[in-house]
Amino acid sequence: MHTFYGYKRQLGLPGVRNWVAVIPSVFCANTVVKRIVQQVEGTVELTHPVGCSQVGLDLELTAKALKGIARHPNFFGVVVVGLGCERFRAQELADSIAATGKPVELIMIQEEGDTQLAISKGVRLAQELVEQAAKQQKEEFPLSELCLGLKCGGTDATSGIAANPALGWVTDQIVAEGGSAMLTEVTELIGAEHVLARRAVTPEVGQKILDTVRKMENKLKIGTAHGDLQNRSALISPGNEDGGVTTVVEKALGGIHKGGTGPITGVLDYGEPLVKHGLYVLDCPGHDGEAVTGLAASGCQVVVFTTGRGTPTGFPGVPVIKITGNTSTFERMKFNLDFNAGEIIDKGLSIAEVGEGLLQTVLETASGVPTKAEIGLHDELFCITRSYGG
Amino acid sequence: MHTALRMDPRDNVAVVLREVRKGEDVLINLETGVVHLTAQSDIPFGHKISVTNLLVSEPIIKYGEEIGNAKIPIQPGEWVHLQNIYCERGREN
Repeated sequence: MHTFYGYKRQLGLPGVRNWVAVIPSVFCANTVVKRIVQQVEGTVELTHPVGCSQVGLDLELTAKALKGIARHPNFFGVVVVGLGCERFRAQELADSIAATGKPVELIMIQEEGDTQLAISKGVRLAQELVEQAAKQQKEEFPLSELCLGLKCGGTDATSGIAANPALGWVTDQIVAEGGSAMLTEVTELIGAEHVLARRAVTPEVGQKILDTVRKMENKLKIGTAHGDLQNRSALISPGNEDGGVTTVVEKALGGIHKGGTGPITGVLDYGEPLVKHGLYVLDCPGHDGEAVTGLAASGCQVVVFTTGRGTPTGFPGVPVIKITGNTSTFERMKFNLDFNAGEIIDKGLSIAEVGEGLLQTVLETASGVPTKAEIGLHDELFCITRSYGG
Repeated sequence: MHTALRMDPRDNVAVVLREVRKGEDVLINLETGVVHLTAQSDIPFGHKISVTNLLVSEPIIKYGEEIGNAKIPIQPGEWVHLQNIYCERGREN
């Protein structure tokens, strides 16, 4: 049995980091959040462009994302910063965090007086939370307490034959030991849904997988009817094509290798946390930022991101491990990539041999070894999904 | 070592594991043993090479599943990409 060292939480899975998150309820509070984080070591900022002038499903998605991120186990505590007149209420966010037993502080700029006063108060509150966080010791946890987010981006043909199968091997290992993993990028499951549905634990879950992909495909068709989005070009990039991936279905069939070969326990809605351990499909679009934000909002403590072409991005407070199946990409982007699965292609190593190495990297990362994206201060992936109707 | 890898026994295309030049001998690992094909064009690293004769509209199989259909007839050893296959899924209507 494999183990890792993390931080116990009152509710749910343990954290693999112990940050104090500073989260604006609305973009108007972004600068105050940045100033607080600049002054307090041990804090992480989660600035974003939404939280006001939103209604209906669009507002609901923002609320789900912010609440999900705020209760993420990698955050010891949270400082919420609101303006005061925004549509998404800061108090609602703070209350949802408090319900998990996590320390939370709330600052409203309009109540404090001005941004200088809000920053000053926020710095003091954040400092107190960081001091509390620093006193918490790590504990050993079985692999069953880990939930891995599965993502690919900048796909080339090596992704489907090396990086994704190696990650799939790790997924199978984690799920076999009672842990969890999530596939998402529903826009990029198009054409592979029947393969996933065959692996569902019940016919109902299988039907839900088919419905989730069909709904996403219909949404894309509505988008393209207006000519604002070119469906095909949104799903498969010129880089994918240059890398040898010709069709959306080919990309999807290569992509689902990340989910291994085991049974699929269920489908999660955007922002929905795990209840039972297992392998899930999370309903979220495939854009790198939106997908990793969805995985984090549903509680994945670590994300593994496969990339044939090479991408440097990271998520604030959640380690994103980059792996490539393309040795030439690995050599060129050493500063950004954590693991090379290319030896499956270059040296004929088996998927299990490379998978063992990747599992070790996942366990080390979960136990505190920083990823290249963390060392390089990458935090581009926090991107809340929007609804444009449909 | 093989020049191309077939992912599943049902596949009618294989992935070249290094850049291949037109006229080059390509080795592919089939269950029945190693097969030699002559590359009909240059094929970039990671791209697909046809293992069989394919008729117009015939399904292209990779990972044991359909990834699209032949737009034009495809000979063994040909590069299989945007110029000779199409896919109905994920396209604007």
